[in-house]
Amino acid sequence: MLRQILKLAYYEILHILKDPILCLMVFIAPLAYASLFGAVYVASVLNDIPLAIVNQDNSELSRDVVAAYRNDPHFKIIAEIESYEELEAGMKTGKVRAGVVIPADFSQKLSQNGQTEILTVYDASNLIWGYNIRKNTLEVVNKFSADHTAAQLAGAGLSKHEIQNVMNTIDCNITVWYNPTFSYVNFLFMGLIIMILHQLGILGVALTITREKERNTWLQYLTAAIPAWKITLGKCLPYLVVNFCNYVLLIWLSSQFVHVKIQGSVFLIILLGLLFDLIITFAGFLISVYTPNSLMVTRYIMLLSVPFFMVSGYTWPHTHIPELLNGMARLLPSTWMMEGFRLVTIKNLTMTEVGPIFLIMGLMAFLFTGLSLTFRKQSLPPNTDDLAVNCGSTYPRE
Amino acid sequence: MGVQEISPILEAIDLHKVFGKKKVLDGVRLNVYPGECLGIFGLRATGKTTLLHMLVGLDRPSAGLVKIMGSDIRKGDRYKALVGLVTQDKSLFQDLTVAENLDFIASLKGAPQGNITSLIAKFYLQDYLQMAVNSVDAGVFQRLALACALLNAPQLLILDEPVKDIDLYSQHLIMRIIQEFLSQGGACIYGFSNMESSQNMHKVGWLDNGRITVYEPAEALQIWDSLLHSYNNIDGEKDE
Amino acid sequence: MRNVMLFVPLLGVLLFAWLYSAQSLNAIPTAIVDLDHSRGSREFADKLTGAEKLNITAYLSTYQELQEAIAGGRIVVGVVIPKNFEQDVALGRQTRVLMIIDGSNMVYATNASAALLEVTRTVSAEAGIRTLVGSGMQLDQAREAYKPIAFREEAWFNPTMNYAYFLVLALILNIWQQCCTLASAMNVIGETGMKSWLQIKASGVSMTRLFISKSMTHIITFMLMVLPLYFLAFRVLKLPLQCNFGVLMFFTLLFVIAIHSVGTLMSSAVSNAVDASRLGMMIALPSFVLSGYTWPIDAMPPLLQSLVWIFPQTWFFQGLNYLTFKNPGGDFMLPFYAGLIVTAAVCYAISIMLQMWREKLQ
Repeated sequence: MLRQILKLAYYEILHILKDPILCLMVFIAPLAYASLFGAVYVASVLNDIPLAIVNQDNSELSRDVVAAYRNDPHFKIIAEIESYEELEAGMKTGKVRAGVVIPADFSQKLSQNGQTEILTVYDASNLIWGYNIRKNTLEVVNKFSADHTAAQLAGAGLSKHEIQNVMNTIDCNITVWYNPTFSYVNFLFMGLIIMILHQLGILGVALTITREKERNTWLQYLTAAIPAWKITLGKCLPYLVVNFCNYVLLIWLSSQFVHVKIQGSVFLIILLGLLFDLIITFAGFLISVYTPNSLMVTRYIMLLSVPFFMVSGYTWPHTHIPELLNGMARLLPSTWMMEGFRLVTIKNLTMTEVGPIFLIMGLMAFLFTGLSLTFRKQSLPPNTDDLAVNCGSTYPRE
Repeated sequence: MGVQEISPILEAIDLHKVFGKKKVLDGVRLNVYPGECLGIFGLRATGKTTLLHMLVGLDRPSAGLVKIMGSDIRKGDRYKALVGLVTQDKSLFQDLTVAENLDFIASLKGAPQGNITSLIAKFYLQDYLQMAVNSVDAGVFQRLALACALLNAPQLLILDEPVKDIDLYSQHLIMRIIQEFLSQGGACIYGFSNMESSQNMHKVGWLDNGRITVYEPAEALQIWDSLLHSYNNIDGEKDE
Repeated sequence: MRNVMLFVPLLGVLLFAWLYSAQSLNAIPTAIVDLDHSRGSREFADKLTGAEKLNITAYLSTYQELQEAIAGGRIVVGVVIPKNFEQDVALGRQTRVLMIIDGSNMVYATNASAALLEVTRTVSAEAGIRTLVGSGMQLDQAREAYKPIAFREEAWFNPTMNYAYFLVLALILNIWQQCCTLASAMNVIGETGMKSWLQIKASGVSMTRLFISKSMTHIITFMLMVLPLYFLAFRVLKLPLQCNFGVLMFFTLLFVIAIHSVGTLMSSAVSNAVDASRLGMMIALPSFVLSGYTWPIDAMPPLLQSLVWIFPQTWFFQGLNYLTFKNPGGDFMLPFYAGLIVTAAVCYAISIMLQMWREKLQ
């Protein structure tokens, strides 16, 4: 009877509304976290990297080098730093994150065919700085070298056309697919969003049965003739709906305000969301059925957030993660969801290409749904964990 | 009553329950027939609640079985529609109102709405419907608990200390409704720890050391009185 | 409770050390599509094999295959050598080599980009010189034009760009600080249950004394917890530690007190342990991202740049990076110490006020 299920859902919603922190977690926190992270990453690209120039040469050539850096939008030259000692101090205190050192006799040595070089240093204590500065520096250097050569050739009397010819003899055209602007937001943001939805989604529903157990009302469900699957559907329905709404809301927010690239088939995005929704809601429900109290649930779920994110291969790639750990990560729904979402929305892949991911998520959804609908209605043995005493909502203070 | 041809509503056969090293139930046998009220007398921590929960399928025995209407309760859940339970520790929804509790539990049990209205009238709960359950006094709470147990029109009631320490009006009302239930052919298993109330019952099962001995109520009261007497005597002698 | 506290951070060490055991991002999966099949194209391909960070894992035959491989994530860098490559080069005609990078993962993309940029510079120079000579210029003169200005790069503080050095310690400490937050959230409510709490109250023990002794126990426990973590990190995993270990412990102690104060505040603000944990969790969850340890604070919007310093985690993780990699000296670290102390003072003060207000209401 649909009536019974809807009534269960109605009372579950009533309960959510009566618990301020649960309300916070279910309705507000996803949006709040997404907005917060959105604000953090909204710049999306590391620009204006503080750069110090230690130009000990002061020749025209060295000034050309400086100009090359100055004209690059990625860098911002910090004028106060002029000596090598100041550079060292500045790097230590984070005042600058990169430096260019042109030795005193640079242009002189160069014209004499002697050994000399321009030194670029960058802060690798934070590899976000490190990786990006290195790439940007090489771009500047390459461009500078090319311009310098072109100037030399012009000086040697070649025409513009001829110079072009020479320079582009082998034209290495570096194209960046899917994320040409090297935007961190396109890389990282939706992974964070998925993790937020995953954790808050599970946490909300994971308290639904433990709450009843702690308040001694679970036995009302156990002693009534109502079958397990109706209890499951009734209690999970509000969470299924809210979790999916949050999914849609957060995608919209990310796309509108954080300007994350979200392309790809709408159908696939929705299907991903539905499968993910089923998986986390029913996984949370199972946790609630088989865990004796809410405190344990809250703790363990929270502690798993960062590890789940890191092992997924979403940032540090899975080709560089030990195979066994990769295998374990592949047991987690979050790993598949994050990868699937990236493949659909960033790489714009079709069903044939991401089929395996949908298959696996489909299997997980089937598994969790099945286990949830057929849970054994039985009361757990009495809880001897002393923490359980603290968990009732009516436990008074002091 | 023609008891010989009628089969028992509930039969407990050789129930054992062990918690860790402690033997809580050690071969309990009992049965209860329609129209009968079997009292389970047990002092604190004798395993009374464990036994009662076992009879309704909440707890599993280490050995032995329970049959309700002839079928083993381990097989299937259909017997649950025939049973109503009032627990010793509060098990109603504290954050809901009286009316909401009735509504929700009726829905859980698949009971028709009509039952709710008649039970509200029977238990005189009209004035308390909008009150939160955690704010009503003990007597009203127990009335509500019994009303919820009766929502699915059960044939067997399992009551664990239903009237302990509540006001006399509610006590009287509850006992009257139980009598009415019994007269309509229902059976009742009634856990209690105050021997005086045994007079309302048809049989008393005295739970001690994990075993049940069944007495007639008058007999049980006699035994209890003599026990009291003997303890008083010992004290008396000491005083002298 | 003790089980969670003891084992989870240690499990964290195991997990993260294992996860980042590759340490540097080398061996970027690269594929070459040689549409020319000439000696010249093979020589060119060899240059790529020589590139330090690239790992040629496949030689594909068509552009289509490359597209699929990159889309499927099997290949991160693809190089397409066009037909008539050798011929065009010999004739001095322009030819274009397509180098494709999968930009969907920035860890790969930035490194791949850097690797390719190094290759292209050399390749352009050699080709250009050959063309010049071919069109009649003297070799010397040609070389002169292309004289590479030697650019050397140094990665300071973490010379091998070791990702494990960058992240493992911070991740371990992040888990540890989450455990500490959870434990602190039990401070006012208590772990021993309502009945014994009532007994304690009835026995007349001063609430303040009880609170202080519990807090001290917590703080000492947290510090004892972090010792094996630091041992494993610095002695076993050999993660960088530029500063004096005593300084690091002092800094950690200040952080522990600050975290404890936040947890205490949580537990005074709500009425039961589950809610306190949930609130504590909700604050601890975003704290690592907000700390600017990965995505830097400088890259955040100005308003947020100020706001993130409300969290003790920000002070701690920023300070941790400075201390372990750079050792910038006492003066520089003073604001960090102050930040943590102020946080602790404020949180404890608010907790006390909340308690007093509650008592007044009763």
